[in-house]
Amino acid sequence: MSARRRVVVTGLGIVSPLGIGWEETWEAALAGRSGGGPITRFDASRHACRIACEVRDFEPERWIDRRALRRMDPVSRFAVAASHLAFEDAGLDAAPDPDRAGAVISTGNGSSLFFEQFDDSMIERGPGRASPLQVPVVIVNMSAGHTAIQLGLRGPSSCLVTACASGNHGIGEAAAMIRRGAADIMVAGGTEAGITPYSMGGLDATRALSRSNDDPTGASRPFDVGRDGFVAAEGAGVLVLEDLGHARARGARIYCELAGYGASSDAHHLTEPDPSGRWQVAAMEAALRSGGLGPEHVDYVNAHGTSTPAGDPVEIGAVRSLLGERAEEVAVSSTKSMHGHGMGAAGGFEAVLSALAVHRGEIPPTINVRDLDPACEGVDHVLGTARTAPVRVAISNSFGFGGHNAVLAFARMED
Amino acid sequence: MAHRPDDERVVITGIGVVSPVGTGREEMWRTVLAGRTGAGPLTLFGTAGFDVDMACEVPDFDPTAFMDRRNARRMDRYAQLAVAAARLALEDSGLPVDRDGEGIGALIGNGGSGTISREEQYRVMVERGVDRLSPFTIPLSVANMGAGQVSIELGLRGPVMAVCTACASGTDAIGQAADTIRRGDARAMLAGGADCLISPYFVAGFDAMGVLSHRTDDPAGAARPFDVDRDGFLVGEAGAVVVLEPLVAARARGAQILCEVAGYGASNDAHHIAEPAPESGPQMAAVRAAMADAGLGPEDVDHVNAHGGASGPGDRSEVRVLRAVLGDEQAARVSVTATKAMHGHCMGATGALEAAIAALTVLEGAAPPNRNLTHVDPECAGVDHIVGEARHAPVRAALSTSYGLGGHNGVLALTRVDGV
Repeated sequence: MSARRRVVVTGLGIVSPLGIGWEETWEAALAGRSGGGPITRFDASRHACRIACEVRDFEPERWIDRRALRRMDPVSRFAVAASHLAFEDAGLDAAPDPDRAGAVISTGNGSSLFFEQFDDSMIERGPGRASPLQVPVVIVNMSAGHTAIQLGLRGPSSCLVTACASGNHGIGEAAAMIRRGAADIMVAGGTEAGITPYSMGGLDATRALSRSNDDPTGASRPFDVGRDGFVAAEGAGVLVLEDLGHARARGARIYCELAGYGASSDAHHLTEPDPSGRWQVAAMEAALRSGGLGPEHVDYVNAHGTSTPAGDPVEIGAVRSLLGERAEEVAVSSTKSMHGHGMGAAGGFEAVLSALAVHRGEIPPTINVRDLDPACEGVDHVLGTARTAPVRVAISNSFGFGGHNAVLAFARMED
Repeated sequence: MAHRPDDERVVITGIGVVSPVGTGREEMWRTVLAGRTGAGPLTLFGTAGFDVDMACEVPDFDPTAFMDRRNARRMDRYAQLAVAAARLALEDSGLPVDRDGEGIGALIGNGGSGTISREEQYRVMVERGVDRLSPFTIPLSVANMGAGQVSIELGLRGPVMAVCTACASGTDAIGQAADTIRRGDARAMLAGGADCLISPYFVAGFDAMGVLSHRTDDPAGAARPFDVDRDGFLVGEAGAVVVLEPLVAARARGAQILCEVAGYGASNDAHHIAEPAPESGPQMAAVRAAMADAGLGPEDVDHVNAHGGASGPGDRSEVRVLRAVLGDEQAARVSVTATKAMHGHCMGATGALEAAIAALTVLEGAAPPNRNLTHVDPECAGVDHIVGEARHAPVRAALSTSYGLGGHNGVLALTRVDGV
């Protein structure tokens, strides 16, 4: 077998509740700002959860023409915008060879807003007045499809759906496409736009959401004893992944290497993690092993850390089990405390932040922790304020409903 | 013909299907080989007000034959189809789920999500209020629960995800799962697709797009890919899953080996959300990539299970692609079938069902007919369409092609494994 192709990160694109573009988002994350607020996307007065992390000041017309916009659900608008930002950041106007460049854009839910609007119309007006757009606009793969169309990417394209781990699986599988030689460049990440009546109502019915409606900026409090669920977020986070040789040949800026990817499944329960954390550990170990790394190389864990009572202690237990005696020296934070839980976009958001942590040697904090839950102790939590420290390897965890686990390992490039 | 070292070869060791043309590999194979159709009246919802009242449904599907009643109630029909097909595939392969299922994963493709449940719950919210939504609204509705439920029901702890590329989902799932094994991330994978978009929203939406056949007085003759009188597809539902293992491991445990997944190619048209690119370049690239991945030249390909969505431009584009990639001379020799004529368009499952049929074609040296093809569209001529009856002839390599909304193209190259 030939030597394993190395995959590097050469572009970052993000549309998040903390800002448009990685610079704004990164500045807010290092400053410990929250993107939480009352829901403005719809009248949530009859919903038990009335808070979310919404994207502000988003002008899709900057990247997408009006005609294309009319056929695009917000979930695809976020994805296309973030992909354009990532492409620009990678110094690319267009793919050097469109047949060798692809798009994997994952999502947890796909279309929400347009799906609900078309459904309203079906209920009110009957099937005879259905729209020819109501299928192609809402199917879950369409954010990948639109990204391929808008950026002119004719290589492999896909959408991997694993609920809240979708973004990580998408990025990991996109890297695998480069490694097996099917592409040189992949635009890869996750997107979500589920702050709508039905999606938020459904999430609340599972009792997954925080109901701290009077404290929207303090409601996402991973690892705190007072945590009561996650705060839903919208947006998209996208990486430009590139074969190392290809990136070097065109003189691209390299943020870091996407050294490893590991996936596993709990096979335990629809919405609850396996309390042993055993398969989360297996995914983290697989991510490190696939990159020729070990737990001793890890300096930062960007935790899944959703702020749910059941999930957070299981994850910290798994991280401790992975790291052993080093656990207390390894920095851990959940940036969901600031940008909220992007669900299908979560892996994308956190990949952007993890890549920056490795590249810049800065670690964004977990905010809103007043009383650290004793069940979440045993690691070096970065609480309240950012920390400057070299990061050789960062791992980014994502775990989804259905028991899907996916972990990415980002490693510093030594020139 | 194998061009990979033995330790990188991945084979199919089991097939499970729950489909309009039968449940289980043997019943399905007998049905399609005989050219019998699964078309009939649409019964999954009341069709008053709809112009189309026919479909290819799974007859008498009883999920409780495959899972307990309580779990079945917490699954949308598409996830039930996924679990049933996966269980049948596992049984067919004889693969033991040992070591707590570590390293055994599942990639299940679906074009939609749990749309039947989603539409029901949406109506609950609109008519009775948001506080009346079921606590299972999200697990019932979302697109990853086909894969998720398969892992939970069968105890699979390897990589598990839904591959969603519209009508190419099942094909991409198998191709990507083979790569997952090859790169060492799993020791076995269940891969395929499961979908049921026979719902008011989707049937009305497809009909508004003009992609459904309106030959409602003749459901059995409605799906006619490559025929001059084709007028669209019949919406179908199915679960179709194959078990993939490394060749070496399959031999070591004495497993049945049906064929090799020798090559996979994928591309995107990057052109339009619902129409193929005019020159079909990216579709050609996907076919070429699958053949190159398998080390096949045009002369090595004996058979193609075509996408055959029975749309005007789509079918023409497919034949153009085969002629360009294989060359006119070889294309004329390659037998081509479109089994959607029998099982309908099973959406995210269709690529997996067609790959399963193509695998059996390679194994058995027999290919099902394109049952309703009576007058080949002159613009679809130039390949050896299998008309009328099944074709009995050795097949060294078969291609299974899928093209999906959003421009996704996926192609598998399946080859015979000698010495089994």
